[in-house]
Amino acid sequence: MNAEFQPNWLRQRTRRHFFNQCTMGLGSVALASLLDDRLLGVPSPATTNPFAPRASHFPAKAKNVIFLFMAGGPSQLELFDYKPKLIELNGQPIPQSFVEGKRFAFMGSSHGSKLLGTRRQFAQHGQGGTWVSDLFPYTATIVDEMTVVKSCATELFNHAPAKLFLNTGSGQFGRPSMGSWATYGLGSESQNLPGFVVLQSGPRGPRGGAVNWGSGFLPTTFQGVPFRGQGEPILNLTNPRGITAERQRETIAAVRDLNLGRLVETGDPEIATRVAAYEMAFRMQASAPELIDLAKESKATLDLYGVEPGKPSFAANCLLARRLVARGVRFVQLYHTNWDNHGGPGETLENDLPKVCKDVDQGCAALVKDLKAHGLLKDTLVIWGGEFGRTPMGENRTATGRNHHIDAFTTWFAGGGVKAGQVLGETDELGFGVVRDRAHVHDLHATILHLLGLDHKRLTFRFQGRDFRLTDVHGEVLKKMLL
Amino acid sequence: MINWCKVWVAGIAVMASGAVAVPVDYLREVKPLLTEHCYKCHSASQQKGDLRMDTAALMRKGGKNGASFIPAKSSESLLMQVIEGSHADIERMPYKKPPLTTVQIALLKAWIDQGAKAPADEKAESTKHWAFVPPQRAPEPEVKLSAWSRNAIDRFVLVRLEKEKIIPSPEADRVTLIRRLSLDLVGLPPSPAEVDSFVSDRSLNAYEKLVERLLASPHYGERWGRVWLDVARYADSNGYSIDAPRSIWKYRDWVISAFNRDLPYDQFVIEQLAGDLLPGATLEQRIATGFHRNTQINQEGGIDKEQFRIESIFDRVATTSTAFLGLTVGCAQCHDHKFDPITQREYYEFFAFFNNAEEPELSVATPEEVARAKDTDAKVVAYIAALSTKDAAIEAKAYAWEQSLTPAERQAQSEAVRQVFDTPLEQRKEPQRLALLAAFVDQAPENKKHQTTIAKLRATKPKITTTMVMQERAKPRETVLFIKGDFTRRGDLVTPDTLEALQPMARGTNAPTRLDLARWIVSRENPIAARVIVNRIWQQYFGKGLVETENDFGTQGLPPSHPELLDWLATELMAKNWSLKSLHRLIANSATYRQESRVRPDLAGLDANNKFLARQSRLRLDAELVRDTMLAASGLLNPAIGGPSVNPPQPDGVMSLGQVKRAWTVSAGGDRYRRGMYTFFYRATPHPALSVFDAPDAFSACTRRIRSNTPLQALTLLNDHAFVEFAQALAARVLKETPSDDAKRIEQAFRLCLSRKPTDNETRRLMDLVASQRKHFAAAPEEAKALAGQGNQNVEQAAWTIAARVLLNLDETITRE
Repeated sequence: MNAEFQPNWLRQRTRRHFFNQCTMGLGSVALASLLDDRLLGVPSPATTNPFAPRASHFPAKAKNVIFLFMAGGPSQLELFDYKPKLIELNGQPIPQSFVEGKRFAFMGSSHGSKLLGTRRQFAQHGQGGTWVSDLFPYTATIVDEMTVVKSCATELFNHAPAKLFLNTGSGQFGRPSMGSWATYGLGSESQNLPGFVVLQSGPRGPRGGAVNWGSGFLPTTFQGVPFRGQGEPILNLTNPRGITAERQRETIAAVRDLNLGRLVETGDPEIATRVAAYEMAFRMQASAPELIDLAKESKATLDLYGVEPGKPSFAANCLLARRLVARGVRFVQLYHTNWDNHGGPGETLENDLPKVCKDVDQGCAALVKDLKAHGLLKDTLVIWGGEFGRTPMGENRTATGRNHHIDAFTTWFAGGGVKAGQVLGETDELGFGVVRDRAHVHDLHATILHLLGLDHKRLTFRFQGRDFRLTDVHGEVLKKMLL
Repeated sequence: MINWCKVWVAGIAVMASGAVAVPVDYLREVKPLLTEHCYKCHSASQQKGDLRMDTAALMRKGGKNGASFIPAKSSESLLMQVIEGSHADIERMPYKKPPLTTVQIALLKAWIDQGAKAPADEKAESTKHWAFVPPQRAPEPEVKLSAWSRNAIDRFVLVRLEKEKIIPSPEADRVTLIRRLSLDLVGLPPSPAEVDSFVSDRSLNAYEKLVERLLASPHYGERWGRVWLDVARYADSNGYSIDAPRSIWKYRDWVISAFNRDLPYDQFVIEQLAGDLLPGATLEQRIATGFHRNTQINQEGGIDKEQFRIESIFDRVATTSTAFLGLTVGCAQCHDHKFDPITQREYYEFFAFFNNAEEPELSVATPEEVARAKDTDAKVVAYIAALSTKDAAIEAKAYAWEQSLTPAERQAQSEAVRQVFDTPLEQRKEPQRLALLAAFVDQAPENKKHQTTIAKLRATKPKITTTMVMQERAKPRETVLFIKGDFTRRGDLVTPDTLEALQPMARGTNAPTRLDLARWIVSRENPIAARVIVNRIWQQYFGKGLVETENDFGTQGLPPSHPELLDWLATELMAKNWSLKSLHRLIANSATYRQESRVRPDLAGLDANNKFLARQSRLRLDAELVRDTMLAASGLLNPAIGGPSVNPPQPDGVMSLGQVKRAWTVSAGGDRYRRGMYTFFYRATPHPALSVFDAPDAFSACTRRIRSNTPLQALTLLNDHAFVEFAQALAARVLKETPSDDAKRIEQAFRLCLSRKPTDNETRRLMDLVASQRKHFAAAPEEAKALAGQGNQNVEQAAWTIAARVLLNLDETITRE
């Protein structure tokens, strides 16, 4: 039917002519992988793969990022920010001068308003004498790799908006997450896996769900791909019942052949992208199972992390994260719940915080050590932190807990061009506010992008008539953090 | 451009001697300098300090700080003082920008000292951005290739092509045309019979008849309703972290029906923004106000409710301006718009229109159902109330139960019950005691017997459908400007008003309401509303709008590619009494629309992005249409229109990604195969097959979808069980409906998916595939059984399922050519 109506003045192209003329190429993901030799020799310039590696603005210190997101708001006062004065004033009312003009979550309810000193034991570790509590014995062994930033500050004190703010620089939905900005700016080194991967562990998903790793107004190609903690790590990776690998290969080959025929007919480069996407999908079906098979790791490595193959855990995700960056994945984000220690059942500082600390402590330390052993730490920025911290006053219930606190909390960074063995910033003697080197979330974002070789002011995307950035109109690189 | 050599000489001369050696030319030297550094704040679009600087006369007139200059007296001139930074009260200009260079300052000084000469006839900048000037209907232009042109659209397009010396593409073949039209107008591919009938229709108006048939189809309302639902940010859940389900599908039904009965666009807008305020508002008009109930609701514990009420109004302001005016006003939430003439004060005046609503749920039940439901509720209340007379100790038990609750359990109670908890026991009133008793009886395990009785009572209650609507408060709320957009920092009181950049609002004696706002938006004097909707509809047909920045008609947006055409269409829409079907008819019948979509190598350098419309564009189908097309091809489609959302299958584990794990019980029977627009949409955990094909997230108004092209889409179409089911059904359909001839079956399967017949090469490729699969499955009966399911035709069914799966995975299947 088509051929009868072909206008001759547009039909004077042969297939060879088309491929010679065609500059859109077939994607950098070579088609040869499907064993069909039909197209070998066809030049395939890398113009259609959205993840093709791109140059940074200036030489990068970090190539990859692993963000260990402690969902719920870990208590800096039980972990890193040692406050003897707060212990001394335990049980006393808050000095008025500390709370004037501040807003807290659960305003107006009968929650605790007296100071709460920590019951944890603190000690100094490493050459820099970094304070770490007894809840983090493993983390204490890697402090000489870290910059511990005690002066972080954010703006929103409810979980979902605060998480969004930490991930996207805005409490409103619809902005791209850090990982999306990074892959949008830099592409990915991996041919067989997505550039931005999300891993989850703990009793529940992080509040807000997929928007935390959404691509906002950036193309959805750049959204985080949430691997699952169990079963298939990526949705639909397993062939349907009755479809063997060979059937799948033959199916994709036929799809490819018919698509290429249409490409010749229409000249639409989107078809080339789709052919490449099927190639990537096929490769992911092959590469992802190998990726998640932790049994291939040595016993020493498994013991370092405390991982049992086949059993999902935060530590297993840490090991998976190392395997992902080793395969060139640009941005890996781990979420672990639940750090929301208000003091109620399942949320006490006495019994529940130690449990969640134990969940992550060994894995975090193992990850940093293992990255170093593999020579990956210098290229990989590891970040540990949550959406906010917790208040110096306690919630007086049967057990103790603390409320959400946005004015001062702790985040640590290691590897990827970060100065090792230092503590940055200081809070007042009760831990209410920052007195030195305030590190606002926008500043953290600016610094993370800087380490990736990206200028946060130049990494922009035009949307609804305005150039958007991760840092909105704010953000200063924290120079003291840099090597 | 400034003559830099001369400036330099002048500057040196001034600096060296204090005297002026070279005369300064205002137009060539001074004005460009002022344009670059001063006009942004002191010209047509903005007049900071009431100062305009776009003519020398206006500068001399000055603003609230007085004249900018005094001729021949540069040292006494305000302009010199502010650019040098020597003024006592005014900050150095340009404000928060690098200072002018010494040479530039010297040039301005010299110009003033020479008497500040400027032409007497200097014209001020036009005060209006194009979009703020009402559309002008230009006469249809004369074209050379007039035989090609079918209507006014084509003449406007062709006149531009002829100017660029480009020939339009030929008309697409009939099969492509009917598939294109069907997908664009009703969102479903044509059946092979419909294709045959159109291809063999030799009447002169065969195409026009087809357009009319499709416009009259009830599926037209679904297709174009879904486009509108993107703008309306429609979803079936409340969003934020809890993301509980909500009931607002009646609004979706209203949208579908509004398109189907071709409700004039002005009325369409008025009913959605203010249907409740119309005199004698009907139930349908009240349902329409669900438009602005599609905001999120935060149900997290411990939140400040007022904060999130205000967030939802911010969203309503943003959505109203984006949806109907194509303007971004969001930045004025915190400060005056930097580029468009929208002040922060105006923002809050606009905000005030929406700050006076209640947000109820409207029952859409019959009076009889309502009465029965009330009766049941009364019985339950009476039963519980009676308990305290029967059992004197029960209130004490209830209080003991209250005391035993953990904080999390307390938090999980309804707001009414939490309020009881917050009231000291001795101060509780009768209704509060009853509320506690009810919660205790309902929840405490010791009350099993009562719970069974109550459950029996409640089982008789009719299910009352509700839908979320807007309703005006009797007593208006005060609206203030929030400093830096922070709701805790209250600024001046403001009253409702519209944007000054557009036409003034007709005012009565009372304070204007949402209804006045709605009428102002679709007033024929509004320069922008008709252009915006015309452009949005255009972009569905061509992939992008005549104004490519479809969500920004302001000064930062792109100008229209065909301004006269945009204006002509806008005036035509209004002339046709805002009939959207008339607009569709016009576009769909145009020769411009009917062109082939083939990429033209001859235009690679001239017009690679197809701005001039010398061809059509291939467009990947929207997420819902990917599903619909495959449902139609496989014969599984349940074409029912409207009703509550449904739960088609989705991969395991999706619902566990949100904070609250919610059940996803797959719909039984025909509801398993409804069109994609009816899939229940949870904002936090949307159906993966929708998200992967770029369905909007429903957090804010979406005026244009992204068309991504990813490996995850490939994995979905290849391996998602729902899509495998479509392939199995397509295979079974072809085996059943078409004689046992491979070539004929391939042709039929091809036509079901792509409408066209396969080429010889394609047939051969698929014949080879079927043959090899048949051979394979014959030798591997277990595999065949696994893929084909039950039945004695396993090998054939399995082999054809492979072929069907190939067809459903083709780029062309999910593309409108």
